Amino acid sequence: MSEETIVGTNAPRVDVRDKATGQAQYAADIQLPGMLYGKVVRCWEHAHARVKRLDLSAAAASPGVVRVIGPKDVTAKRYNSSVLDLMVSESMHDMLGDIDDQPIFTEHVKFQGDAICGIIARSEEAAERAAAKIVVEYEPLPVYLTAEASRAPGAVQFTPEKPGNLAFQLPEAMFPNHALGGGDVEGAMRDADIVVEDAFYVPKQKQCQMEPHAYVAKVDSGGRLTCWTSSQMPKLVQRKLAKLFDLPMNLMKIVPTVIGGGFGTRLGMISEPQACAMALAVPGHPVKLQTLREEDWVISPSRHPGKYWMRIGFKRDGSPVACDARFENYKGGYYLDASGTAFTAGAWLGGMYRFPALRYRGESYFTNQGLTGAYRGYGNPQTNFVLEQLIDRGCAELGADPVEWRKKWHKGVGDDGWCPGVTYPSCALDECLDRGAAAIGWTEKRRKYAKQEGTIRRGVGVAVMNHTSGAMPMLLEHTACTVKLNEDATAEVLFACSDMGQGSHTALKQIAAETLGFPFEHVQLSSGTSDVAGFDIGAHASRTIYVGGAAVKKACEEAKRQLFERASLQLGVPADELDIRDKRIFVKADPARGIQAEAITRAGVYHFVDPMTGEPGGVPGQIQGYVSFFAPHNSPPFGASFAEVEVDTETGEVRVIELVNAHDIGRAINPAAVEGQLEGGIQQGLGFVLSEEMDYDAKGRVQNNSFTDYKMFGPEDMPKITTILVEDADPVGPFGAKSVGESGLVSPIGAVANAIFHAIGIQFTEAPITPEKVLKGILEKGVRNYAAIRRS
Amino acid sequence: MSSRILPDFNLLLPQSVAEAVELLSTHRDRITVMAGGTDVMVAMKFAQSAAKLPEFVMSLENVPGLGYVLFDPEKGLRIGAKATVAELLAPPEVKQHYRALWHAAQTFATAQVRNTATVLGNLLRASPAGDCSCAVYALGGVVVLHGPHGSRDVDIDDFWLSYGVTARQPDELAVELTLPPPAAGSRSAFKRMTRMSEDLAKLNVAVRLEMSGNTCVDARLAMGCVAPTPLRLTKTETLLRGHELTPEVLQRVAASVPWEISPIDDKRSTAEYRKQVSGVLLKRAIQEACGVA
Repeated sequence: MSEETIVGTNAPRVDVRDKATGQAQYAADIQLPGMLYGKVVRCWEHAHARVKRLDLSAAAASPGVVRVIGPKDVTAKRYNSSVLDLMVSESMHDMLGDIDDQPIFTEHVKFQGDAICGIIARSEEAAERAAAKIVVEYEPLPVYLTAEASRAPGAVQFTPEKPGNLAFQLPEAMFPNHALGGGDVEGAMRDADIVVEDAFYVPKQKQCQMEPHAYVAKVDSGGRLTCWTSSQMPKLVQRKLAKLFDLPMNLMKIVPTVIGGGFGTRLGMISEPQACAMALAVPGHPVKLQTLREEDWVISPSRHPGKYWMRIGFKRDGSPVACDARFENYKGGYYLDASGTAFTAGAWLGGMYRFPALRYRGESYFTNQGLTGAYRGYGNPQTNFVLEQLIDRGCAELGADPVEWRKKWHKGVGDDGWCPGVTYPSCALDECLDRGAAAIGWTEKRRKYAKQEGTIRRGVGVAVMNHTSGAMPMLLEHTACTVKLNEDATAEVLFACSDMGQGSHTALKQIAAETLGFPFEHVQLSSGTSDVAGFDIGAHASRTIYVGGAAVKKACEEAKRQLFERASLQLGVPADELDIRDKRIFVKADPARGIQAEAITRAGVYHFVDPMTGEPGGVPGQIQGYVSFFAPHNSPPFGASFAEVEVDTETGEVRVIELVNAHDIGRAINPAAVEGQLEGGIQQGLGFVLSEEMDYDAKGRVQNNSFTDYKMFGPEDMPKITTILVEDADPVGPFGAKSVGESGLVSPIGAVANAIFHAIGIQFTEAPITPEKVLKGILEKGVRNYAAIRRS
Repeated sequence: MSSRILPDFNLLLPQSVAEAVELLSTHRDRITVMAGGTDVMVAMKFAQSAAKLPEFVMSLENVPGLGYVLFDPEKGLRIGAKATVAELLAPPEVKQHYRALWHAAQTFATAQVRNTATVLGNLLRASPAGDCSCAVYALGGVVVLHGPHGSRDVDIDDFWLSYGVTARQPDELAVELTLPPPAAGSRSAFKRMTRMSEDLAKLNVAVRLEMSGNTCVDARLAMGCVAPTPLRLTKTETLLRGHELTPEVLQRVAASVPWEISPIDDKRSTAEYRKQVSGVLLKRAIQEACGVA
């Protein structure tokens, strides 16, 4: 189907050998001469309190302690640990109302784990022993764990900038009545024959990346601050830290380290400000700051939990007439990206079905839970849990087949995607639905399980999703890339966007090699430090291949253009009549005529004038391709998931037997990596819908910030997985590729919930759907055959 | 919150049981005994206050001859204090004659923990959630304790006194767990419910039944996570003894369980749920022991 020889193959992953053999160097592995060790002293006993008294003296006198720093020893400036505010224009920034509300060390504790002060010592042990000697007296404040509580009249205000503790709502200037959508929702609902409606709760899910957050920071003799970090967005973190510490960007260096998993938790900063503040307190000494797993758990942002209400109206013929929704999320103690998920949850909703009328309201309220921010899916899992269950409730009442209904009413090519005015350039969702349905045996099982007897019931469910490839046009989509050809015709690609373990650098290398016509092994790809790599916004929004890949491709095309220009002089044939394969440039019409790329690259670098003749040996100059690339689109991927579950009606336990993820990914650059992304997504999607949630006690203290009591799906718990890659090349993406980074976890959520509905005739509005909730539902409502549900 | 630092302690490394007992006599409450260390180490890193930290940790590392798992058809199964959960799974007789314990050991925690944690340690931890504890309770047995004045056997029925507390005196060392020899017509089963496969139980149950045909001659029923210690369901046992295992009897048995247990809400489940499913789980364990699917 295509002529590519490297793109589309399972090229070996560039990162796995080092990771599997323990040679990958994470920030925690870094050892530098004269290194000191930092420890952030945190408030563990309160989720909301004021610091009445802070006495650092006993800790400062503790053996091995070099410095102890409190709020008065660091900049009084505040920051916003998310980077979303850097990705919008200033006018948009003002309209959204993004604020900087995070201090390095706080005197108003807003969540359990808020930072109080920092200790710098000669060993980790000394720092920890000193931490125990910090004296803090707190004045406890009322703890607000929900939006209802924090917006109540008289509630303590988290910041004067956000009255009523309403961190964010869709701005009136862009969204009239603070609502996304259009059309006459109320009128359409009055005309509807069937209206389904419910209030849902979506859980506070944690990314659980393997590498706990760790940093090294150092100020050198020239006053230059360097921070080693595994942030997903090194370039934006550079600007954030430079601004916070009043440094010109050339004096704020970022060294990206190997990332041990991100899933959004490293989207921006976590403890970089504290690490840098410590380094500034002890110039000349590197300071290493590591977090314990339980600490990482509470200080890094999680997925946004909250209440999600929705109603959908249908005509009796099945046509949807309107969708009305409201998501009130529990933001946690600080603002960071309060605007992001509150918007995107509605954006994905708007992008899914052809609702003639839509009204979505998204609000973020400060609470004293842990912070919320980016987590793979970014608002889409929440919407999927709600929307897809209500669609199936509607289908049940209409007597419609959920697959057929979705095929009829999902959006497609030419329709507006998640952003109004930006239409879908490609859509292969029908093929996803057809192939997924065939793989799970949809028709037969749907019929068979509709009427069952006995204790153990089975069900099959479907759900679909749309996502995005980069965040254009809402957010900046800019990637710079440099490709340098060495004299031996090997290539070095410099590209600032990190590989979080998703396989992006492998796929980018494939794109580079394919475009250049060089072997995969002769291309090197580096992220570099902030000194050397050009701008890139970072790895988020499933953009690395779609945007970054396009940038790499363009930079390589530019290098190839120069290569062909020089070859054309040698071969006497116009450049556009040339091609290259395996480093040999040849005339398309006469492949026997050609020249090795190396002859050109070598002559460009080792350029001499013949002393006998005075003739130059080839064209001088090292070839470099460079692009500063802005994505023209966001080509959303689509996906359909099918789940088969078994429900034990005596215990409420749900076992997922099989999960089929059929995804419209445009084109798989590296099919094995794409399958890995979709399978990994399933693991997190299953956790969202069945098992994962951070629990808090009434005082706002997290109860399960460890793997002992926060339960993810383990290897033995995973179902049989079937991954179907639907390759329908996108007209915009590089080699037809759309994204796959986040989307795999989204629709398994709705599919599992709908399979439970099919099995026992009950829908569950609170995720995760634990056995405790299922059994309660069964005892209250009784197990019903799906076939008995249809109302009309 | 845990710590990167293991708190300071004095490590004691006795070379024999006698020396271990002597050290216990000398330091008594100030000693924590460690075999596999899977509980001791975690507890030390998580200790909230210095008062909860042991002054001495006595490791059994160098004490020879305690790693055995020995089966004798006449005397039963002897499990030494240092035998790990993984080692318990090795002899085929364990699976054959002590099915409940074998099953508990097989699904116990994770492979890494099974390779390190000891069976006796699980009992000595005196957690109501211990899977091996639950199975041993149903199977019956004695814990052999060595003290300064000699050895004594404590029946498992008298072993757990309250949460985290056993009948072992501070100067005694638990050296062995002995399970009775298999009786004709005896069968056992273990079942547990967890949030995920690799997890602590939210509810576990073990049964040992002496059957004559379809009639239950004797029964020992044990349940975990429903009281401060592992619990014998003695009242429910009486509903089985002398009865044929008809669906009606099983129904009565299942219905009796919630009245005998006093579970709590915790991180793994709720009291309500535990009561709701306790009878179901017991019924299923009985059916499994009797080979009924």
